[in-house]
Amino acid sequence: MAEQEEPQITAPDTPVPGPSQTGRAVALARLLHHECARLLQLYKEKETFFSDHTPDAGRIVSLSPDTEEPSTEQQVQLLHSALRQCLGLIHCVILKEEEEWGEMEGDYETMRMNVRLRLEHLLCSTKGLVETESMILEVTPDHQCNEETDGAGGVFGLKMWTYRVLLELVHWADHAAQTLHVLYAEREGTEDV
Amino acid sequence: MTTMPRRSKPSWSPIWLTCVLVGLTAAHAHAKDVLTVPQEVSLSADMSTQQLSISWLGGAAAAFDLIILRTELNETVFYETVSVMVNQESGRHQWNWTSVEPLQCTSLSIRIRSRDGQATSDWSNTQILQGSDLPSNAKSQMYPQDKIRPVGASTTFCCIVGEGKLFGNIKYSKTAMNETRLSRRSYAVTAVNQGLSGRTGTNVICSDNTDYLLDGTVVFVGYPPLPRDLVCVTRDLTSAVCKWTEGRGTNLYRKRGTRYSLNNRYHSQQTECSVAQWEGNWTLVAVNPLGRHVLTDSAELGHRVFPVAPENLNSTVRAWNATLWWRWKYDRYSSLALVCQVELTSQGYKTKRNFSGLGLRSVFLSDLNPDEDYKVQVRCGAQQNFWSWGSWSEPLSFKTNTYVPDSLDVWMWMNKDHTGQVIWKPLTRRQSHGPIRGYEVTEENQQPKLYPPDTFSVPINLTKIATAGGDNKVTATVIVKNDAGVSQPASVHIPLRLTDVEPHSVSRAVYTGRGFPLYWQRDDNATCAYVVEWYESFCRWDCTVGWIKVAAGNTNVSVESADFLPGVRYNISLYSSTSEAPELLQRWQGYMQELVPSVSVTLSTTQQDSDILLTWGEIPLVNRRGFLLGYNIYVSRGSQLMLLADWLILEILASLGITAVFLVIVTFVCYKKRKCLVHMVERPEWDSSKEALVVIPEEDEDEDGQGFGDEPADTDEPASLRYYNHVVDERPIRPRFPDSSASSASSLDSARTDVTYTGIQTSGSSLVFLQDSEGHQPQADLSFCGGGGGGGGGRGGGGGGYRPQMQSRALSDDTGLASPEPFFEPEAASAGGYKPQSSWHLDSPVEAEESVGLVPSLGSPTSVASTQFLLPDGDERRQPSSSAATWFSNLLSSTKP
Repeated sequence: MAEQEEPQITAPDTPVPGPSQTGRAVALARLLHHECARLLQLYKEKETFFSDHTPDAGRIVSLSPDTEEPSTEQQVQLLHSALRQCLGLIHCVILKEEEEWGEMEGDYETMRMNVRLRLEHLLCSTKGLVETESMILEVTPDHQCNEETDGAGGVFGLKMWTYRVLLELVHWADHAAQTLHVLYAEREGTEDV
Repeated sequence: MTTMPRRSKPSWSPIWLTCVLVGLTAAHAHAKDVLTVPQEVSLSADMSTQQLSISWLGGAAAAFDLIILRTELNETVFYETVSVMVNQESGRHQWNWTSVEPLQCTSLSIRIRSRDGQATSDWSNTQILQGSDLPSNAKSQMYPQDKIRPVGASTTFCCIVGEGKLFGNIKYSKTAMNETRLSRRSYAVTAVNQGLSGRTGTNVICSDNTDYLLDGTVVFVGYPPLPRDLVCVTRDLTSAVCKWTEGRGTNLYRKRGTRYSLNNRYHSQQTECSVAQWEGNWTLVAVNPLGRHVLTDSAELGHRVFPVAPENLNSTVRAWNATLWWRWKYDRYSSLALVCQVELTSQGYKTKRNFSGLGLRSVFLSDLNPDEDYKVQVRCGAQQNFWSWGSWSEPLSFKTNTYVPDSLDVWMWMNKDHTGQVIWKPLTRRQSHGPIRGYEVTEENQQPKLYPPDTFSVPINLTKIATAGGDNKVTATVIVKNDAGVSQPASVHIPLRLTDVEPHSVSRAVYTGRGFPLYWQRDDNATCAYVVEWYESFCRWDCTVGWIKVAAGNTNVSVESADFLPGVRYNISLYSSTSEAPELLQRWQGYMQELVPSVSVTLSTTQQDSDILLTWGEIPLVNRRGFLLGYNIYVSRGSQLMLLADWLILEILASLGITAVFLVIVTFVCYKKRKCLVHMVERPEWDSSKEALVVIPEEDEDEDGQGFGDEPADTDEPASLRYYNHVVDERPIRPRFPDSSASSASSLDSARTDVTYTGIQTSGSSLVFLQDSEGHQPQADLSFCGGGGGGGGGRGGGGGGYRPQMQSRALSDDTGLASPEPFFEPEAASAGGYKPQSSWHLDSPVEAEESVGLVPSLGSPTSVASTQFLLPDGDERRQPSSSAATWFSNLLSSTKP
């Protein structure tokens, strides 16, 4: 499978407000989803045993909306919170993996860094979309990275946990693309991004 | 002790019987004491090493039976008698057992009994080491976790399937392994001869019967450390820096990676360690989970100086030299005897120069070239007890100053009308010493004239001076300027007088692959240097000249030039170089490579009764592309070619005075079929439109299978001719059928005559030959010095004047060597260094007689054909007018039936 051309990633900054900002956020979320899926694929290729494995454990990142029927903006705010946790998780994955085997420079490690930067960028985008005076959104990682990984804490447990994190990233990136698309449809009055 | 049965005398004495009974009783009592059932059996497990330590109170016994079983399946894992001495301090026996399987895999039951020979005690109580497969631990598990193993080892893994799950398989990486059941929930596999794992380890995965992942583990397979090359050096003359290499990679990283300690104090995961004070003796211990390795080093400080890089490298630059200086980071260097190496890079080439001195801080670089870019780097080492070169300094670039240019190499070319050129060789970058700003040329007694930098020749006109008489020469002086000044003047003496004198002979120069090697006689009276000059022979006017100057006393030189071209004849002249005008001493001609002539000869015929007069023109020199050795003439009849002319046996009349056209009278002898006369009757007119000369390129080999051996012409060739061809040339004679596109005559069913150049000399010959009738007369007087004028073919020289061609001859393109080219036969030329290339011999009477005629030759590169019906008139047949014709006639007559 040929490697797809990846856009240049730059440091996250505050998106320029404007009518197309939502559209750009949707595109960014879709790109993130694609990259997360690719990252998972690379990890499966590296650690072959996960090829078709679906862990029993539930979501690592979960949301508890304050209201039963949150508005789209509120959903995006929740999404932002979930993405912060995802950013914390990918930070933690990088930290633990480098602690275990040192810095490596394979395709997986490159994509892992791409995902981290893209996620930071998306957080800046969602912050710009739904932040209000009463709802200040942070873009820093929301994870302390001090919890034990799965299993007995061995290397295999780390691998299992990493796999779960990657699945989580795919899930939330997909969720972000969908949620932001709804917001886009509401704000722009069109489904097409 | 054993009892002995009584047999013959049952009446034992009471004392004896008593002793026996007491002894037996004592022995029995002792046995009871030794074979005490082991008590207080205790177990201690080390899960990481899979070692089980068993201890017990065993009384005085020294041998015990140990049995270890898998508790659930009651399978024996170990059952042996072991000798274990009691520990005097604890009073307990202890024995260690290492399990193949991880101790967590399943519960183990251990029992011990004492043994004395065949006697054993009862078994001890069973002690159980509980595994992780107890029902209370219901989850799936895999053991061992994160094991680190050496390459080639074998490792047993076990999977405890979760309660309610069914075992499926265990895969080592991607390989499904054969399992052994250890208990209701525990299964084991063994990976043997393990290879290196990946950086993140090898995964061992346990799946259930639906291939769902139950649990897994990771094993890291690598090597124990094996560092190499421990060496400690000092850079500041106080402290030490010890370095080593990892050696063979361990394949283990980070927390599993190798840790080093130096002299048991300095710890590092890197392969370098700094120590504040020099210690002299060093011990490096490398440790990783698979083993350790020790390296040592020992040296005095003064023997391990590895200087730091010179700092602040700077320079003072001049034209031919420069001074470099630098600073040292440490003051202690000032008292250190140093040897320093300067690497000098210029024009892409690197050179190194060494300097030495106490605390060396500057060096003088001599022998540089002006106006040249240099890059330098410096490194140093201790002069005494040199250990190693230190670090290179940062590179420093500089450019040397300009300097006045070198003197020019000047020569000249003179035409026959006293015009010409003063020429000089462009200065190389190394000679110009800076950008050239221009040239200043001064003719004798004239005002200097300035010329721009891209000038390399200037015209001169000495017509008035030459006609005015007076001195024999004019001196031209050239200087070159750059920003630094002007060069020393370079002069050339230009002869004013023309003479018609040429050298005695013109030799052939043979190209040897690199150049034309030339040799000449040493003139003991001559103290002058020489100039060897060359130019293309067919050039007449303002020719491009190459030259080299040869120091006095030399008698040979190799003329080399990248401008030499194949197929071009060069005149090469040797001049004396004195304070007078140059004197032509000797001349050569040669080709870098001889080629087939590029044009055909123009052939015409005239019928004179039964004789045919063949006439063809001279080939221009530029088209010869090699030394012509002669012509072959073939008669074509239909599809057959017959060679008539090896053939100086036929009379060849050359026009000697007016034209350079050869006149050949062919007396055709119909030696095979007299009926060939019929054709002439049918078509007596000469069709001049069918005259044609066709070039047939020389063939070296019959590569395409169309060799002349198959040609009918050969088959019709008289036996005598075939023999003659054979003896004069080892190569097959290959008269060619001219291509139909080149000669319409080739398709005519009529007799035809081909005239073919022969014997192209391809290399390796140098034949001294006489000047031909076009002015290449022997030089009348070689005693003059300063004549010649250095000119080419048209210039002539001698006596201070020119030596042009003899004006009595009609102008020809070939003033160097007009065709036919007369030359001595090879044997005569051997004294002059000539080695004929072919093995031909001049063995015909005509050839012997015509030493200045055509050299007979075969193997034609060129064929010319004309179509003509031949009508020999038997009654009025002319007799051959020369001995050659007679010889040939006799030859043919001898072949007649």
